[in-house]
Amino acid sequence: MTPTPRCDGELLRESAAGSRSSFEELVRRHQGAVWALVRRVTPSDALAEEALQEAFVAAYRGAASWTGSGSVRSWLLTLARHAAYRHVRRRSGEPPRFEELEELGAAAGWGDPVDLDELIDRMRDRDLVRRALGSLDPSDREILVLRDLLGHSGPETAEALGLELNAMKSRLHRARLRLAAAVRKERRHA
Amino acid sequence: MPEQVVIAGLSCGDVLEGLSDYLDGTLPEATVGRVEEHLRGCRWCAQFGGEFTTVVQGLRESLGAEPVDEGVSVRLGGRLDALFETAS
Repeated sequence: MTPTPRCDGELLRESAAGSRSSFEELVRRHQGAVWALVRRVTPSDALAEEALQEAFVAAYRGAASWTGSGSVRSWLLTLARHAAYRHVRRRSGEPPRFEELEELGAAAGWGDPVDLDELIDRMRDRDLVRRALGSLDPSDREILVLRDLLGHSGPETAEALGLELNAMKSRLHRARLRLAAAVRKERRHA
Repeated sequence: MPEQVVIAGLSCGDVLEGLSDYLDGTLPEATVGRVEEHLRGCRWCAQFGGEFTTVVQGLRESLGAEPVDEGVSVRLGGRLDALFETAS
């Protein structure tokens, strides 16, 4: 009979008590998600790798501090974000400009239709999509990675980002509109 | 954007605001019906809704989960080994 896999919380508690094998199992389960996030937030794979290692080192050292109130995966992703942002060069001191939703919509093509079949075809071009995503701010990239690439639920995404659900939804929508605008820009340059 | 219209009690701006919730299936059922009625009657919003959905679905399908490079995984294991040794 196959043993029932232990849940993440149990593995983390065992890690806090010094179990190396439990922590290694957690790493196996979640390194893909952590890698996907740090790789899209940091400017290079080398920095992403540093952030990946720092996130898991912080998780091992801080295992006893996990409160059990949320998912271990979200907690790990929060640590990964913090690690990744230490490697992101802050832009000049100006605060980000707040764009009205209709302004974002217009840049994304609201009222300026495209050939949908051609767009469907272009979205299969991984390099184009990667460039469009890469042109966004890290805060837009991270929310798109969590919600659309890793397929986390809305509440899980909000938890990992430390946001209320409605604030997360608003940020996600704006990030998607900026992505649509970036795709238009990439298609013009292609 | 051409002049906005109001259909089913929703303006084009309301539809723009709700597109992600519509796509994610997190709108209340009654609102879904109104959004769909608006989309049937407004070609601008229908066209933009198609473009927006294509971009989000294209992102999910083109760049989905990518495996961790083996070298990255091995070096992570090495860093953790050193950590375990220090801790023990």
